[in-house]
Amino acid sequence: MTVGEKRAEAGTDTPPDVLDGPFSTRQLLRIDEALRLADQGTGLVFSVYVGGLDEPIREHAERLHRQLAEPDRSVLIAVSPNQRQLEVVTGRYARKRIPDTYAKLAALSMVASFGGGDLAGGIIQGLDQLASHAGKG
Amino acid sequence: MSVTETLLIFVGIPAAVVLLITGMVFAANRGGGGAKRYRPGRRFDFTPVWFLGRPEQLADSAGTALAAGAQAPALTSHKQEKAGIEAPAGGTGGASDRW
Repeated sequence: MTVGEKRAEAGTDTPPDVLDGPFSTRQLLRIDEALRLADQGTGLVFSVYVGGLDEPIREHAERLHRQLAEPDRSVLIAVSPNQRQLEVVTGRYARKRIPDTYAKLAALSMVASFGGGDLAGGIIQGLDQLASHAGKG
Repeated sequence: MSVTETLLIFVGIPAAVVLLITGMVFAANRGGGGAKRYRPGRRFDFTPVWFLGRPEQLADSAGTALAAGAQAPALTSHKQEKAGIEAPAGGTGGASDRW
């Protein structure tokens, strides 16, 4: 299922929650596409969370990461625009494919975009960098 | 040219043009989505979103309802406990950054 399909389910009279989020429809479609390409290309499970994170922020991000079906193979990108904080969490197996130094590199380029106010662009760039470093699964 | 004609041409037409342009500007502002945009340093209210390539990848049944874009549910104590047990000690990696 994709972001786009979820919208169809919600019906036409009530706009779905996702449109209250920080992204426009076009940006949502691009993020969806980037996620799908990253998942298919690497065999890892990429996931993006945009919203508030409780203190301690790192722990909250790791808790979200553990909620995924296969935490070991998953990569979570958690962005909190109001706290201006970005967390990249890689699972045990995913960490072998994406070492922390490369996660940090991707985080740097994402943060550069976020600082310019471009949330969607940063997320897509970060996904692309992480996925291309992880290589084929 | 009578007085009314002069007024119509030299006041009426410019006034109509000004009104038209003002209307277009406000219409563009409303539809363009410029109001809801993240600007660093400014408070930004929105519904939290969580994107997954395939939403069935979430572990628990409560989580599956949290398809792409839904609000993250609060963790119940049970789930938190479970998550705590399953936590790989120091197994996760990654990076943090601020902007």
